[in-house]
Amino acid sequence: MAECPVCGAEITMAPGTVVGELIECPECGVELEVASVNPFKVNEAPQEEEDWGE
Amino acid sequence: MKIGFLHSLIRKDEKLLIDEFNSRKDIELVMIDDRNISFNLGKDKFNLDVIIERCINHSRALHAMKLYESAGVKCVNSFHVASICGDKLLTSSALADNKVPQPEVRVAFTEESAIKTIEEMGYPVVLKPAVGSWGRLLSKINDRDAAESILEHKTVLGSYHHSIFYMQKYVEKKGRDIRSFVVGDTCIAAIYRTSPHWITNTARGGVATKCEVTEEIASLSVAASKAVGGGIVAIDLFETADGLQVNEVNYTMEFKNSITTTGVNIPKHVVDYVIKAGRGEA
Repeated sequence: MAECPVCGAEITMAPGTVVGELIECPECGVELEVASVNPFKVNEAPQEEEDWGE
Repeated sequence: MKIGFLHSLIRKDEKLLIDEFNSRKDIELVMIDDRNISFNLGKDKFNLDVIIERCINHSRALHAMKLYESAGVKCVNSFHVASICGDKLLTSSALADNKVPQPEVRVAFTEESAIKTIEEMGYPVVLKPAVGSWGRLLSKINDRDAAESILEHKTVLGSYHHSIFYMQKYVEKKGRDIRSFVVGDTCIAAIYRTSPHWITNTARGGVATKCEVTEEIASLSVAASKAVGGGIVAIDLFETADGLQVNEVNYTMEFKNSITTTGVNIPKHVVDYVIKAGRGEA
C-alpha cells in the first residue's frame, strides 16, 4: 500500500507492477510514477517536457 | 540473449513490450532507465546483444543510442533512424531523396524569407517545429496576418531551433488521417485517426478505428520506412485526390490504442524483430 502524494489516498500495488510504471491515483486521478515496488512507493509523475513523444 | 530495454517512464506501451519479452524463453531483459545512466566515451563495454529504445525524451534517446552504438551495441531503432525521424526537415529530405510522395514542404531561415515562401505556397500552410511531437506547436496559418504574427512570435519567443521555418502545404484530410505500423519489411497494421480538429494525433484526442492495410498503404509505408533507414516505425499518411502522401515517420512508436482496434498483436511483432536483430538477422 502506498499513499498518493497529492490527495493522500491509499493505493494498492497491482500484480506485475514495475519500477518507473505510470499509474493513476484512483481517488484524484493524478498521474503517478512507481518509485519502488518493495516497499511500494509512488511519486508524482514528471511533467511533460518539450521533446517528449514519438 | 541479453536485451537492454532503454526507457524512462514505463507507459502502457512499454508495459506491453516488457510482458511480451518476459513471455519468451532464453531472454534476459535488462532495464536501463535513461535517468540513471552515464557514459565513459571510448571506454564503455556493455554485455548486451541488442537494445530496444523506448525513451520518452527524443534528445536522450538520440544521444544514448549514438553512445551505445559507438560501444558496439546494436540498437532498435538505430541512431541513424532516430536522427532522421526526430527531425521533420531531415525526414522530408529523406522522403524527397527517395521519391516518396509527401505534401509540399518548404524551408526558410528568416521571417522575411518565410513570409515570402508562405505567400508563394498559398494559404493555408502548416508551420511545424522541425523537432517536436504529439502535435505540439503546430500552427495552421490561414492568412498573411496570422503568418506575420506567428513568425514574429517564434522569432522573438522561441529557442533557436524554432527559427528553422518548416512549412507544409495544408492538406484537407476531411477529419482523419492514417497511422500505419511497419516492422522490418512489413506493414503489420493501420488505423484511421479521426478528429473534428485538424490535428488528429491520438495524443491530442484523435479516435482510433481500424483501417485495412491496402496494397497502397503497405507499399508506401514500407517505402517511407526504408527512406529513413528501416526498423520499427509508424507512418502518418494523408489521403489526397492524388493518392496517399506521407506526413511523418515516428521512430518510438506508440501503439497501445491500436492493438484492440486492429486485432494485431503489435508487441509480438516488435519483440520478434528485436530478437532477430539481436541474432544479427535484422
